[in-house]
Amino acid sequence: MKSPSDHGNSRRETDQLRPRAPDTGDPLPLTDHPGYYPGFSTLSQQKFWDAATRRKVLERVAHPPPIRFFTPEEEMLMGVIADHLLPQHDRTPESRIPIVPWIDERLFLRHTPGYRFEDMPPDDEAYRLGFDAIQAMAQSSSGHAFVELSWAEQDKLLKSIHDGQPMHGAERIWRRMPVHRFWALLLQDCIEAYYAHPRAWDEVGFGGPAYPRAYMRLENGEPEPWEVDERRYAWDAPEQALSDPAEPEIASHRDLPSQGQGGTH
Amino acid sequence: MKAPYGGSFEAPDGSEHLLGSMQRIDFPMRRRPVTEEVDYVIVGVGSAGGVLLQRLARAGFRVLGIEAGPFWDTERDWVSDEAGSHQLYWEDLRITGGTDPLALGANNSGKGVGGGSVHWAAFTPRFHPSDFEVYTRDGVGADWPISYSDLKPYYELLEREMPVAGPAYYPWGDPHGYPFGPHPMGGVGNTLIDGCSKLGIRVSAGGPVAILSGSRADRPHCIYRGFCIQGCKVGAKASTLITHVPDAIARGAEIRDRCMVSRIEYDRKTNRVTGVSYIDREGREHFQRAKSVIVSGYAIETPRLLLNSACDGYEQGLANSSGVLGRYLMAQAGSVILGRFENLVRMYKAPPAHALTEEFYETDPRRDFARGFAVQTVATLPIAFGKQMMAARGNWGWGLRRVMMDYNHWSAFGLLGEILPWADNRVTLAKEKDQFGLPVAHVTFSLHDNDRKLMRFGTRKTEEIMRAAGAQEVVHEARYAHLVGGARMGSDPASSVVDAFGRSHDIANLFVCDGSILPTQGSANPGLTIQALAARTGDYLIRQGNRIFTSNDRDSIAPPVRHDLSPPDTFTGGVPHYSGATASR
Repeated sequence: MKSPSDHGNSRRETDQLRPRAPDTGDPLPLTDHPGYYPGFSTLSQQKFWDAATRRKVLERVAHPPPIRFFTPEEEMLMGVIADHLLPQHDRTPESRIPIVPWIDERLFLRHTPGYRFEDMPPDDEAYRLGFDAIQAMAQSSSGHAFVELSWAEQDKLLKSIHDGQPMHGAERIWRRMPVHRFWALLLQDCIEAYYAHPRAWDEVGFGGPAYPRAYMRLENGEPEPWEVDERRYAWDAPEQALSDPAEPEIASHRDLPSQGQGGTH
Repeated sequence: MKAPYGGSFEAPDGSEHLLGSMQRIDFPMRRRPVTEEVDYVIVGVGSAGGVLLQRLARAGFRVLGIEAGPFWDTERDWVSDEAGSHQLYWEDLRITGGTDPLALGANNSGKGVGGGSVHWAAFTPRFHPSDFEVYTRDGVGADWPISYSDLKPYYELLEREMPVAGPAYYPWGDPHGYPFGPHPMGGVGNTLIDGCSKLGIRVSAGGPVAILSGSRADRPHCIYRGFCIQGCKVGAKASTLITHVPDAIARGAEIRDRCMVSRIEYDRKTNRVTGVSYIDREGREHFQRAKSVIVSGYAIETPRLLLNSACDGYEQGLANSSGVLGRYLMAQAGSVILGRFENLVRMYKAPPAHALTEEFYETDPRRDFARGFAVQTVATLPIAFGKQMMAARGNWGWGLRRVMMDYNHWSAFGLLGEILPWADNRVTLAKEKDQFGLPVAHVTFSLHDNDRKLMRFGTRKTEEIMRAAGAQEVVHEARYAHLVGGARMGSDPASSVVDAFGRSHDIANLFVCDGSILPTQGSANPGLTIQALAARTGDYLIRQGNRIFTSNDRDSIAPPVRHDLSPPDTFTGGVPHYSGATASR
């Protein structure tokens, strides 16, 4: 899948968006299998999955849904945003995981996670308000549309939303929609799309579906005979990226829930 | 990549050594014409509704369950896939607010036959004796109109009907043992055991959890695939869909699935309900006459239906002369504490629910809050883990990609803490409507001082256990788990909605039977208690017989415990750790 932020960028610029080797600072080669589990493939085990699961996952891989909710401009904008929230510049273009079509489908079908915060508009409206806010912030800071900003400027603008201290220009919108809830909505939807894909399972070393075969090596992090051991390597985020600080911003002050998430117990 | 070995599972038919699909219901279900009056209509066939349907059918009543979601074909409808399992959860719109709004949907609300028991992690600790007298002991919350000893025989019964796997000796509350042996440990369980052992905290390993550790009858044992909350395709995890509903159908019960009850109909002249109106899967409206109505829609939908059934005589909601309906809604403090270990954990293997400690369950005068908490294993799959990292570490972008690549190094514990019942935590009707034109629920939830103190203390203690286990980095996501309350039971009609058997104080042939009747919630997962209460209500209704249908008189005498109404195979099989439903302390 072609990434919108690749448009119009020179080869050198896209190189700069790739993770780097810590010792040399050189961009790491493009890969179709990032992560620490080289050669691990959940899809290679599909014959061991039950038919319903196989159908569901293969359909997801082969046929991302068509765009029906976003306008072409919104689709482009959402693509650029997703490239920052879940960047994939380390992946070969053909191994990148579609994100925008799944968000579009949820909004088109008006599917909710089962609740809406009383201080939030419906999700479809929230997305469009958020887009307006991002455009207004970009215009206010540089006089350009968001997609025309440099990658670093885009990252800076989005980080200000992440931080809950949005750059100037959209105060009117943030009064209607709490900025931290919009951020959570956006990022949760991106996570839901990316980590639903078998190539993301291969990246993180998740074993994937295991019915009816079962897992049998439950302890000490041991791999099943068909899984692989971890082989770590060091990497640095691209120089321009603001999203991988050396120290995580641990929300230890947040003892009480700030946003909901789905089903863990 | 290593090639698959040993061939595929393409053709399990005739391969007896393979675990096949879950048992099928291969007998016809009775289908009554809509015009025929039934004895009981049960709204919602979930944890409570499934048990009650089975009990009433066994006793020979004409009983009908109406369920908003589908009757699952588990092999066809369920998948081993996080993103593909949304259909199991009640994801219709609800509005959530207050100072500490609850996440609903997948977090706590099921839809379809089996209800929440389809997607629960299946931890099944009993409530402690102290849970039934919180007000008397601590001056907070409320007392129950029944005591632990009233419910104990039903705990023992349901622990066999599900059945529950766990240790032979469980030390907390009223000490007891479990009929099926404990499960083997997974990576997360081992970290909880390590951390607790280093700190001298007692810990239960391998249960109590309603997942088969050995095969029983037509249900195979657990295969440790980790997708418990996506629905157990194996059939090892108990849900009323497989434990009680098949027997109910075999005994003549009917279930109308994908039918949404829109209101309960009431006759002011007799002060009795006459049946329910519902919308079927084709969108047609029907009226089903019933001699008695039992609402089993859980903590949000039960109050919503009763509020939506307001009528002349009950303008504030059916059976709501007290004004208490919808109030005292509770969720448990369910913060997830995550620790990163140098060695791999691989937390996707084994059931999320497989070890816990209740060492901090009771009120401790040395602490500055009433009541307590449990600490349990929680294992998250990648999507849920990503959202946790977003909330707990503020991750996004490359930082998110990086921490996700370390997914297999993380372990997760769940705090399960008692939040007290407060009148202002409640379900009301929103102005928004659902696809049937019915007002949706508006849920208001705010923490109070005791809740905040408990949550902070419990989070710190759980973090301490995680660090003692050897975690190098420990973070947490503050959140909630479970839902109960909203139609609470009590002795005083002025301060409760139903009596000790779930009978509404206002209307003699209207009952509520589900988690919404709990006056307090302890620090135990509510599923077992909900099913035990349903079995007790079943015994009461059966003992009352036709009087429920003909009289407005009330009789509060506890019925004898019926041991002859359990589903087949209840008292066979299992690891013989336990001698049966006898010993009383």
